[in-house]
Amino acid sequence: MTPRSLEIAEPVPRARDGIDLVVATRAPESAAAPLRLRGVTKSWHPDRPPVLDELDLTLDPGSMTWVGGRNGVGKTTMLRIAAGLIDSDSGRVEVWGVAAGENRSRYQQLVSFLPAGDRGLYARLTVRKQLEFCARIAMLPRPRFREAVDEAIDTFDLHELIERRVDRMSMGQRQRLRIAMTFLPRPEVVLLDEPLTSLDGEGAALLHQAIEKLIADDGAVLWCSPSGENLDIPFDSRWTIEHGKLVAA
Amino acid sequence: MSEAVAAAHAFMAIMRRDLHVYMSYRTRLVSQVLTAVFSLTLFYYVSRLVHLNGFTSPASYFGFVVVGLALVSVMYSCFLIPEYIRQELVAGTFERLVLSPFGPVRSVVAMTLFPLILSFVLAVFTLALGCVLFGLQLHWSTVPLAVPAIGLALLAFLPFGLLFAALTVVIKQGNVGTSWVIALMALTGGVYFPVAVLPPWLQEVSRLQPFTPATNVLRHLLVNSSLTVSIGPSLLKLAGFAGVLLPLSIVALSYAIRAGQRRGTIIEY
Repeated sequence: MTPRSLEIAEPVPRARDGIDLVVATRAPESAAAPLRLRGVTKSWHPDRPPVLDELDLTLDPGSMTWVGGRNGVGKTTMLRIAAGLIDSDSGRVEVWGVAAGENRSRYQQLVSFLPAGDRGLYARLTVRKQLEFCARIAMLPRPRFREAVDEAIDTFDLHELIERRVDRMSMGQRQRLRIAMTFLPRPEVVLLDEPLTSLDGEGAALLHQAIEKLIADDGAVLWCSPSGENLDIPFDSRWTIEHGKLVAA
Repeated sequence: MSEAVAAAHAFMAIMRRDLHVYMSYRTRLVSQVLTAVFSLTLFYYVSRLVHLNGFTSPASYFGFVVVGLALVSVMYSCFLIPEYIRQELVAGTFERLVLSPFGPVRSVVAMTLFPLILSFVLAVFTLALGCVLFGLQLHWSTVPLAVPAIGLALLAFLPFGLLFAALTVVIKQGNVGTSWVIALMALTGGVYFPVAVLPPWLQEVSRLQPFTPATNVLRHLLVNSSLTVSIGPSLLKLAGFAGVLLPLSIVALSYAIRAGQRRGTIIEY
């Protein structure tokens, strides 16, 4: 069984933040989707089966997809490939028809990745400086820069933490900041690897609000977490990875 | 145009980030200032004890060594980049740079800016301290010319830092032989003594690196030392190092990052 295919005739990504979105002209069967993985294969060891084996996944606009599976099954590898962090051995990954190898800068403007764990923060910077840095390297145009930072502070209720250094924050507070940085550049596709780690109920609720807003804007979310995690979230589709392929959960 | 402006903002944001991190360690600047004071004091008294051929007075040797010390600190700053990359890899922030629209190569190049500016400021401070505390005589009429000369020297040193940064991306270690290279360049570049006192084979080595022409030119411009090689060929050599090695080092860095992405080792640390 393969994930459901894209069912819209002419998906047109939103032109946000002054980013001029260009979608390659394609035949109807390969119409651009927020995120499409086709035949993605990745091996970490030549003498072992591939962790991802001809994996296919398409995210629809305005959808939230969950991919689970036991530890080490390849969820994070799939997310890293989808994010453009590492390459697959074969197959194609595209965001709105754009592959990372074809236009890396544009690809990274469209997709945002929250890695698992608590890394990726500058311990000695305050929350405000962290967010401003994030907005700058996202190359947001000048008029959007301040707005994006303020919006991230509001959306994730970071007002009380704004002048606090990261190394003086709790794990849950850091996770909230990491999530804020993921959503800050207003990506089209958000990839979340175990996003609830260390989050309290309030933080989880803020995350859900941010996801709902993204989905309402026709964005897409891919959420990975281990099978067995008690997720009471209305995903549009649920899959698990087994033997390198997606299976309906 | 807006892309270029956004890239410039991103470039400056990385410099500001490094400034904020630096300033968050309040004793670091004090430590660097004290190091400069102690080094100057040490060599001031050494200059009073040691008599070397080629120096007319203790003051002329002191001027020689102060410029060498200032320049070696500037060169050292170029070699800090591998250690910064290592820290970014461990903290997971390098992934953030790789996944940013600004991109990892431009980010690494931007990461060189703050250490270079800081080292330049500390070099100026060292020279000023030498003047105020120890009577160093600067050749003021040519001092302004030293600024573009040191800029050229930085461009000649920078590729070495970027090449080592590329190596760090591959082998995940910060100290990838940089200390040996710094020691070799300082030894053969004549930081503490003229290159002429070295054995002939080491003098040959000194001609193969950019530190020697840089010290030659800057000593002449700052303290009016006699030139060992005329100024034109020295500047040409520095420009050659910058012109050839800078593009090569950026290509090497880009290749190292792409290779890490292809093999999947970019996530390792």
